[in-house]
Amino acid sequence: MKAARFDYVRAVDAADAVRCLGAGGPQTKIIAGGQSLGPMLNLRLARPDKLVDIRRAADLAAVAATADAVVYGAGITHAAFEDRLVPDATPGWLAPIARGIAYRAVRNKGTIGGSVVHADPAADWPTVLLALGAEALTLGPAGPRAAPLADFLVGPFQVALAFDHLLTGLRLPKRGPHARWGYWKFCRKTGEFAKAAAAVLHDPDRGETRAVIGAVERTPILVPDAAELLADPRAAADIVARLAPERAPAAQRLHAEALERAARLALAPQEIAA
Amino acid sequence: MAEQDLKTTGGVGARVLRKEDDRLLRGRGQFVGDVRRADMLDVAFLRSPVAHGRIVAVGKPDHAADLVFTAADLAGVRPIRADSTLPGFRGSDQWPLATGKVRHVGEPIAACVAASRAEAEDLAEAVRLEIEELPAVVDMRRARDAAAPLIHEHWAENVFLESTAVGGEPLAPLKAAAAVSATLQVRTARQSMAPIEGRGTVAEWDERLGMLTFTTGQQMPHVMRSGLAGCLGLEEGQVRLISPDVGGGFGYKGILTQEDVTLGWLAMHLGRPVRWIEDRREQLTANANCREHHYDISGYASAEGDLLAIECAAIVDAGAYSAYPFSACLEGAQVGSILPGPYDFPGFKCDTFSACTNKPGILPYRGVARTGVCFALELTMDALARQIGMEPSQFRIRNLVRPEQMPFDNIVKKHFDSGDYPEAIRQAEAAIDLAGVRLRQARPEADGRRIGIGFAIYCEQAAHGTSVYSGWGIPFVPGFEQATARLTPDGGLEVRVGAHSHGQGMETSLAQVANEVLGVPVPKVRVIHGDTSMTPYSTGTWGSRCGVMVGGAVATACEALAERAVAIGAHLLQVPAEDAAVVDGCVRSGAASVSLADIAHAWYRRPQDLPGDVDPGGLEATQGYRMAPNDHGTFSYACHACVVAVDPGLGAVEILDYVIVEDGGTLLNPLIVDGQILGGLAQGVGTALYEEMRFDASGQPLASTLADYHLPGAAEVPDARIIHMMTPSPYSRFGQKGLGEGGAIAPPAAIANAVNDALHPLGVRITESPITPERVLDAIAAASSQTKEAAE
Amino acid sequence: MTTVTLTINGSVVTREVQPRTHLADFLREDMQLTSVHLGCEHGVCGACTVLVDGAPQRTCIDFAAAADGVSIRTIESFDDDPVMAALRRAFSVHHGLQCGYCTPGVLATAYDIVTRLPGADPARIREELAGNLCRCTGYAGMVAAIHEVAANPPSRPADAVRAEPLAFAGVKRASPAAPAAVAARAAPEADSAPYAAPTLPADAAEIALSEILDLPADKAWAVLRDVETVAACLPGATLQAFDAGAGVARGVFAVAIGPMRASFEGAAKVSFDDGERTGRIGGGGEDKSSRTRADGQLDFALNAVDGGRSQLDIALRYNVRGGLAQFSRGAVVAEAAKLLIGEFSGNLAKAAAGEAVDASATAGGIGFALKALSARIRRAFGL
Repeated sequence: MKAARFDYVRAVDAADAVRCLGAGGPQTKIIAGGQSLGPMLNLRLARPDKLVDIRRAADLAAVAATADAVVYGAGITHAAFEDRLVPDATPGWLAPIARGIAYRAVRNKGTIGGSVVHADPAADWPTVLLALGAEALTLGPAGPRAAPLADFLVGPFQVALAFDHLLTGLRLPKRGPHARWGYWKFCRKTGEFAKAAAAVLHDPDRGETRAVIGAVERTPILVPDAAELLADPRAAADIVARLAPERAPAAQRLHAEALERAARLALAPQEIAA
Repeated sequence: MAEQDLKTTGGVGARVLRKEDDRLLRGRGQFVGDVRRADMLDVAFLRSPVAHGRIVAVGKPDHAADLVFTAADLAGVRPIRADSTLPGFRGSDQWPLATGKVRHVGEPIAACVAASRAEAEDLAEAVRLEIEELPAVVDMRRARDAAAPLIHEHWAENVFLESTAVGGEPLAPLKAAAAVSATLQVRTARQSMAPIEGRGTVAEWDERLGMLTFTTGQQMPHVMRSGLAGCLGLEEGQVRLISPDVGGGFGYKGILTQEDVTLGWLAMHLGRPVRWIEDRREQLTANANCREHHYDISGYASAEGDLLAIECAAIVDAGAYSAYPFSACLEGAQVGSILPGPYDFPGFKCDTFSACTNKPGILPYRGVARTGVCFALELTMDALARQIGMEPSQFRIRNLVRPEQMPFDNIVKKHFDSGDYPEAIRQAEAAIDLAGVRLRQARPEADGRRIGIGFAIYCEQAAHGTSVYSGWGIPFVPGFEQATARLTPDGGLEVRVGAHSHGQGMETSLAQVANEVLGVPVPKVRVIHGDTSMTPYSTGTWGSRCGVMVGGAVATACEALAERAVAIGAHLLQVPAEDAAVVDGCVRSGAASVSLADIAHAWYRRPQDLPGDVDPGGLEATQGYRMAPNDHGTFSYACHACVVAVDPGLGAVEILDYVIVEDGGTLLNPLIVDGQILGGLAQGVGTALYEEMRFDASGQPLASTLADYHLPGAAEVPDARIIHMMTPSPYSRFGQKGLGEGGAIAPPAAIANAVNDALHPLGVRITESPITPERVLDAIAAASSQTKEAAE
Repeated sequence: MTTVTLTINGSVVTREVQPRTHLADFLREDMQLTSVHLGCEHGVCGACTVLVDGAPQRTCIDFAAAADGVSIRTIESFDDDPVMAALRRAFSVHHGLQCGYCTPGVLATAYDIVTRLPGADPARIREELAGNLCRCTGYAGMVAAIHEVAANPPSRPADAVRAEPLAFAGVKRASPAAPAAVAARAAPEADSAPYAAPTLPADAAEIALSEILDLPADKAWAVLRDVETVAACLPGATLQAFDAGAGVARGVFAVAIGPMRASFEGAAKVSFDDGERTGRIGGGGEDKSSRTRADGQLDFALNAVDGGRSQLDIALRYNVRGGLAQFSRGAVVAEAAKLLIGEFSGNLAKAAAGEAVDASATAGGIGFALKALSARIRRAFGL
């Protein structure tokens, strides 16, 4: 189980990476932590001509906080979130989410940006960040862009990124002490991909209520009327039946449980992590 | 753990720390993948992408036609045959590289050789392959359909073997007299043994010796040497098989594979060492398949709770080929003979057939056939108990063979050696706190989950002897197990055995046996195993036999050595031999003693000091052992009891408590015994809840990675409590009983019974493993719609 | 080849490596550090775990070329380390190993647990061990051993506390590797036998959808009942030849799901029923590199809704066999197929209305995905 041949270059920063992508052509892929791409390469499911390694691009591992948001570089590892080595835009919600991703050895290497761009439907970050109202920051030959993550995630394993564009970071709005949050996922075993996941945000200060159904083997579903769910979490079953009718009955049941439990967590008194 | 419990030496029963650990903990183990040879080439196989088809063409790439080999190239090589003499058995030709047809996904078609594995895989991709696809037989229950395509065209139907086991009284009157009956359709998933290390082989041809050496992880080196020599047309003396450190076997590494035979031919043909290291994808999709059973089973009992009869029709999905050496009949034919379990009841019949399907051949996996059988029988026992209104554990106690009946010939003439089966249940009831759990169940749980308790009991025939295996008529039959004991000139002891240790700690436990007889400290005993050139013949490591058979052989060889040492020692001490004996590494007579080292020194370096009538065999003895007075084997047994919490919203099962009451007779090393039981339990938990090799209707395997095939991790395996009973076997050397497989037998049944106990109020009965969330949720939904229908 | 300089067990090493060589193979084959075991080569089993810059990492899914500047410790190197000595002794005492194959990876993780999480309780230890599979021990001995050492971890020698990465070695551009030798393959021989569309198995996946066209049925049908139009509307399809007499089209169908891509070469029988206004494409093809065969049957039917509008119903049944089929996530493929059919249907609607259609981009691939995006999103991302 060895990868097919590919060429390899290291990018020193984001701009260099974009240049490398443009020079390499459409069969050039970015590799960051490689924790998702690595297996696909070994299995020869992915066969790029060239990899552009961005793990040495210091600008992609940077964090910048503004008054109302934190911008996380795409190259920040899950372990950095778990260990609270980066500031948290939320009242402490990100560390436990990061700790629930795969295994520590994977978290030491895997990155938040890689997870979003890989867009595995069962991954944690796309579901979580969609619920948190994140923006995707990209860089292309024509310069940087920003747009809501909901627009960036376009299909299973598919994001709105041209071949010579790069995800440079994710901007998360800051969430204050009044914001409520629930994230609940169901895995058959510790560290495995989720069979069902859901995230619910209620931020009265910003007047936002968002709910996302994840792990549906397609792009996480942003629930159109999340207030209905928070009014009565038992509405989850109907919401899932409406929004994910293609899922098998047992899977729908799991998604509904996840959504209901996430909603109940968001409604419960919150423990604010230090 | 108290320091005094830690020992580096000791005899039978001592908790001696393992000799193997040091090299493994320092990363210095040597596994087949670690073997390096100059000029070694790597091999990758082009494998069938489809389950059933006719090979139309295999086109070698022009740039490397001399590095790609197909069946047509392997001149003189014979197919692997594993036939049984049981009447009606149909044999299969398993060619090292597919010839004419492919019969399962992953079947090797061409061997591609290159300087690295990556390049060999490139080559395999470049081969042009044309296959005319044929309809595949995927569901064992449809294998005999008139419309089913024949997998082996010259067969009358897709069946390897059909067999019937019958015992006791005619069934009809018993069934008529029964107050209750239960009929279940039980199904166990196809699984993969999934040792963390895959298979692998380095083959090299030595022109000077005219010898082909295989270094390969192997549980049964000598049997496999016979198989390899036969397929390659060599004399057995021309083949040497070395099994180095092996990263887990569980039955998977007791098989002769197409890859091994091909590697042997390549090494001879190319004149260079060749290496193939199986990757996980090959292991899951092409090779390591096991366990898939289907049962239609009925149990009959009286209103008072007496089990009257068991009637069963079972199918084993044996895959496409009969695997060497155990054959495609072993699993199926054992089902009927094991199904009566540890119970004493009057009527029994089981019809079984082994279906041939377009899947990899089914291979023996820890607890061969027993895990499925225990699942079917113990679920039936719970179903009967529920109908009668008895505690399932009490229903079992009422019907188990009783201690005063031992030794006992059961309904199919299995000869149970010793033990108190009902006591195992009673101890498990107490340890798991059956009464407390029943009280807890009376109140709803705060988290909405449902609590259930489940029991399962089995007895495990191990160390089967000639009388058991001669009847199968498969390529090997175990006879006398041999060991060689040799004192070295410096007084160390070498013990040579033809079986192989790959995690079982035999380098330690066999040294303890030698220590028990000769008193040589364990660190000075070197156990040499796994090399056909250095060890006496053995059928190898399978069937939980080594503790009994190899342990017995080592003791016997050491006793023979002791006798010779006593003769020399007595002469050196100038006392009559009958007054002297080996004690603690010395020959003693009263207060006088001479060490084995001094005796060895005399034999090797100062033969002038030896008695005139000294045994010229010297300080090296090879002796054989078989169990006496009969060699039916030992029967260890265990009751597993567990408490689970089932979340009816998620279908998730959490094991809250797990108790194992085990009787393995005399324990050679309790540390190692517990490790075997707990390791078996983890595999049993996998069988019960996680592991499933699914196929689609075209015969495509749907698990090619460990993200598809779920092995239980540390968070999924419960902390179990083990209680030992230790009733010695009257037939083995120290009273020990084989138990290496047992831990994996009962967990699926115990866990399923607990889940069913928890979900009984919802009208749910699960009879399929693994018990996945989807299965639980679907069963709850089905039960709820049935209830609704009934109400309407 | 790419040049890397890294520290391995305290020694600085410079080597030329092939970009595709994973770090575990590099350590095992080039450095002879055979404690690094391969159990899955896809990042699940943990047997290849080593400490990289002091933190446990998988080496089977990382590449040696990317290891420039890091410091690696394998289990061979800890012989003077009191923490590892305590772990080794505890593993032996608690029988935390049997065959020993998973052991080096487990010890790397155990070392991380006892140093990063001193005092960890058994439940936490089990969670942290989840990424190291063991098939022998049932984990009980490992958990007990780690618990014992974590309760009272010995102090480590100062140099082991944090293995600092080497100073950043700068970027070295790889010289372009020689292109992989591509096997010269004979062109597939022309098939003289009449082409028959493959039969799909009973469990073939099914997808159906409908679209309303703002055209009367007869007008729309006149456009749609043309092979080249239909092919042009099918994303990723390239029509190479069409034998009108036999109704057989030959071509290539390129599809991608994220970084996974496949290119199915094959043929399809195309038929139209002008009376019923239905069409059927039944065919199949093979992706050579993964040896995956995909067969499918696409039915479409046009029915009048009212005088001015018609309804297009499309149903796809498909079956995949071979390397790309052998996974448990068929629902992802179904989702991708659904997106594909949605695009196809939209293209047909456009074609029927006389608009130009370009569906040549790989189905599911970047172009395909981007085309499916709204103008707003394309603008947002500068596409």
